Amino acid sequence: MLGWEFPPLFAGGLGIATYGMVKAMRSKASIRLIVPKVASSTDLGDVSIKGLNKITAEEINLERITYNLSNIGAEVLEIPLALSPYHYTNLQISESGLDHFELIKKGQGTIHDVQNIFSDNDVYGRNILQKINLYAVLASELAADGDFDVIHAHDWVTYPGGVKIKKQSGKPLILHVHSLETDRSGAECRNKIYQLEKSAFEYADRIIAVSQYTKDQIHQHYKIAREKISVVHNGIDPASVSHTEHKLKDKLVVFLGRLTHQKGPQFLIETAEKVTRIYPRVKFVVAGTGDQFAHTLEQSAYKKLGRKFIFTGFLSKTKVNRLLSMADVYFMPSVSEPFGLSVLEAAQYHVPCVISRQSGAAEVVKSTLQADFWDTDKYANYIHALLRYRGLKTELTEKTEKELTSLTWTHTAEKILQIYNEVRKN
Amino acid sequence: MPSVCLYFQVHQPFRLKPYDCFQIGYDSSYEDEPRNREILERVSRKCYLPANQAMLKLINQHKGKFKIAYSLSGTVIEQLEKYQPKVLKSFKALAETGCVEFLSETYYHSLSFLYSKKEFMRQVDKHKAKIFEHFKKVPEVFRNTELIYNNEIANFVSAMGYKAILCEGLDPVLGYRSPNFLYHPLANANIQCLLKNYKLSDDIAFRFSDKGWSEWPLTAAKFGHWMHQTAGNGEIVNIFMDYETFGEHQWPETGIFEFLRQFPAEILKHPDFNFQTPSEIIQRYKSRGEYDVPNLSSWADLERDLSAWLGNSLQHDAMERIYSLEEEVKKTGDEDLLDHWAKLLTSDHFYYMSTKYWNDGDVHKYFSHYDSPYDAYINYMNVVTDMEHRLEGVMLSR
Repeated sequence: MLGWEFPPLFAGGLGIATYGMVKAMRSKASIRLIVPKVASSTDLGDVSIKGLNKITAEEINLERITYNLSNIGAEVLEIPLALSPYHYTNLQISESGLDHFELIKKGQGTIHDVQNIFSDNDVYGRNILQKINLYAVLASELAADGDFDVIHAHDWVTYPGGVKIKKQSGKPLILHVHSLETDRSGAECRNKIYQLEKSAFEYADRIIAVSQYTKDQIHQHYKIAREKISVVHNGIDPASVSHTEHKLKDKLVVFLGRLTHQKGPQFLIETAEKVTRIYPRVKFVVAGTGDQFAHTLEQSAYKKLGRKFIFTGFLSKTKVNRLLSMADVYFMPSVSEPFGLSVLEAAQYHVPCVISRQSGAAEVVKSTLQADFWDTDKYANYIHALLRYRGLKTELTEKTEKELTSLTWTHTAEKILQIYNEVRKN
Repeated sequence: MPSVCLYFQVHQPFRLKPYDCFQIGYDSSYEDEPRNREILERVSRKCYLPANQAMLKLINQHKGKFKIAYSLSGTVIEQLEKYQPKVLKSFKALAETGCVEFLSETYYHSLSFLYSKKEFMRQVDKHKAKIFEHFKKVPEVFRNTELIYNNEIANFVSAMGYKAILCEGLDPVLGYRSPNFLYHPLANANIQCLLKNYKLSDDIAFRFSDKGWSEWPLTAAKFGHWMHQTAGNGEIVNIFMDYETFGEHQWPETGIFEFLRQFPAEILKHPDFNFQTPSEIIQRYKSRGEYDVPNLSSWADLERDLSAWLGNSLQHDAMERIYSLEEEVKKTGDEDLLDHWAKLLTSDHFYYMSTKYWNDGDVHKYFSHYDSPYDAYINYMNVVTDMEHRLEGVMLSR
C-alpha cells in the first residue's frame, strides 16, 4: 500500500483515512505500507510501515535509484516550483531538498540525502514533484521482491509509484481517490497533475472512489468507465465526546478546513453576511488556513463583519475537538468535496451540519441540511433555523448518531478486501 | 340484516408557500395560493367531480337504497368556495337526495383536542356552522382528525351532545371481537362508536391497484362476496377511507370508478344487506359492548398511533410553539391573525415533518411538497416566527 500522509505527523483527511483503513484491515490482510515520512512513535503492530525518511542502505540500491531518477529528471524541471497539491501555505518550504536531489542524480548522493529529502516538515512543498518521482523509484525498489498480491495507492502523489510497481510486477493496481485535481483546481482544470491522474486511472485495474459524487466526477472529467470505479465511503472511529459550554453570549458556527477556493470561503462570507443581518447573536469561527486566508480576512473586514468572525488559524486535533464540543452549527460550503470527513467528526460531537450538496458526506450523512454550494440564501435559512428553532438540532443529532453507527472503518475495510479479492481473480 | 356504512373523508390543507428567514417581519401572507389552487383543480378534476357524479347516479339508480356519509374539513370547503364552486354545488346536489349525511369535525382538520379543548370546541362549532351554511343540515355524528381517538375524546364529544363517533377498529383492543358491531366507550353508554373495518376498507383504499397482492384484480363481485361473508358475525360493516381514493390515489386507469359503479349493486344482491348512514346505524342497532381505548389511536400507518404527526422533536416543537400563541392571538381580537394562526394548526403541516419513513420514500413523501421533513419544519417555523413578530406588533401598538 502506497500512502503519503500518515498520523501523527500529517493528520489531514488523507492521513486519517489511510490510518483508519489500515488499522481496520490489518487483521484480515498482510499490509506493507510505504509513506514518505513516519514518526518514531508510529506503530501498528503487524502492519509493516516503511517511512522513506528512515530508509537504510541495505533496503535499496542507490546506484539503480540514481539511474532511474536521472532518466525522469528532465521532466521534473518543467513543473512550476511553487506547486502545493493540497494548498498548504503555512508550512515552510524547504529548498534544501533540491540539493539532495542533485547529489543523488549525479551519483554523489548517500542514503542520508535520501532520508533528508523525506525528513522535511512538509510532505508536499516546493520540491513535491521530485519527491513524487523519488518516492515512485524507491517504492518500486522496496517492492522489487514481488511478494504481494495487490498494489493499493492513495491519491495522485502515489500513483506514479503504483504504476511503476505494476509495470515491474504485473500485479493488479488499485488507485484510491480521496481527492481529484478537478476538485482542487476547478472542474475545467486540465493541467499536468490532471494528466498524471488520468493516465494512471487508465492504466489501473480498479479505482476506488470515496463517494458516488467522486465516482461521477472521475467518469465525467476523466472519461473513465463507471464499471471500473467502486465506491467505498470512509468511516469514523467511535469516540466518546463531551459538550463544552463556552463563555460567549453568541452562538458559534464553525468552519473547519483549508481556506482554499475548493472549500468555498467566499460562500462562507456571503452566508455570514446574510445570517448576521437577521440573527446578530452569532459568531463564525474559521479554523484553518490556506491561500485564501488573507482574502477571506479582508473580505470579512470589508463587509464590516469583523466582529462576527473569529479566525483561529491552523488548529491541532485536540483544539479542533474542543471547538467542535462547543459549536452550535458546523458549516461546510465546499465547492467540491470528495468526502468531507470533518462532517462525520462534527456529527460525532452532536453538532448539526449545514453542508454543500457537492460532497460525499451528503450521501452518507443524510440527516444534514444540504444546499448547492453557491446557494447562500439556503445556507443562511438553514443556519438561522438551527440557531433559532431548538427542535431541529435535537432531531438532526439524534438521527446522525444512528447514521454514524454504520459508518465504521471496519465496514470500509470489508469492502476494500472484497475489491482485493475481485482484482486478484481477474 | 347487516348494514354497510360508507364514509369518505374530504380534506385539503392550506399549504404554505416557501418562506425563508429573510421574509420574517416583512411578509405576512403565508399561503401558497398557486399551489393550493392547482392541487385543488387537479383533485377536483380527477376525483371530486367524477366521483360525486358517480355517487349521484348510484343514489338515483338505486332509488334511495344507496347511502353514504362525508366529512368535509373547513379548509377544503373554503378552498372549494374560492376555486371550485362547481364541486361544492355537486356536494349540495348530493345533500339534497336525502341519502347523504355530513359529519362533524374540527374546522381546520387539527389535533387541537390534544392541546386546547377551548380551541377544539371553537373549531367544531365553526365547522358545524359551515356545514349548515352549505348543506342546511346540522351534523350529529363526530369524526376527529385522522380518526384520532381514545376514551377521553369519546367522553368529551359525548358531553358536547354527539350520539356517535367514528374510530379505527383496533385489533389489540377488540381481541377476539369483530369490528362489525356497534360499541360504546368505557363506562359511557350515551355515545356509540363506529369502528372502521380496516381490512376491507384498505382493500379498496390501498391494495386496489397493487399487482403484487394475491387478490388483484379486485372486482366489485369479489368484494361484494367478502362483505356478504360477514353476515352472521356482524351487524354493520364500516368502510371508511379518504375520498381521494377515487381517481387520485387510485388512478382511473386502475378501474376504481368501474368498481365504484358496480359495488352497490353487488352488495344489494344479497337481500339481507342494505346501506345506512352513521346516524341511521345508531338508530337501528345497539351497542354490543365496551370499546376501551385508553391510549391515543388513529387510522394512520401500520402503527395506528400519532407518530405521523407527533413522532419526532420537530413535530413536538412546532406543535407546542403554535399552540403557545393561542391566548395572545385570541386576545388581539384580530380576525385575520386568528385565521392565519388556526390554519397553521392543520395536521398536514406536521405530517410533512415526519421522518418516520423519510428514507424509504413512501406514502409520506408522496403527500409532501417539501424536499425533506427538515425543510417542512424550517418553513413552518419561519412562518410561526413571523406571526410572533406580528403579535408583538399588535401588542405594542396598544
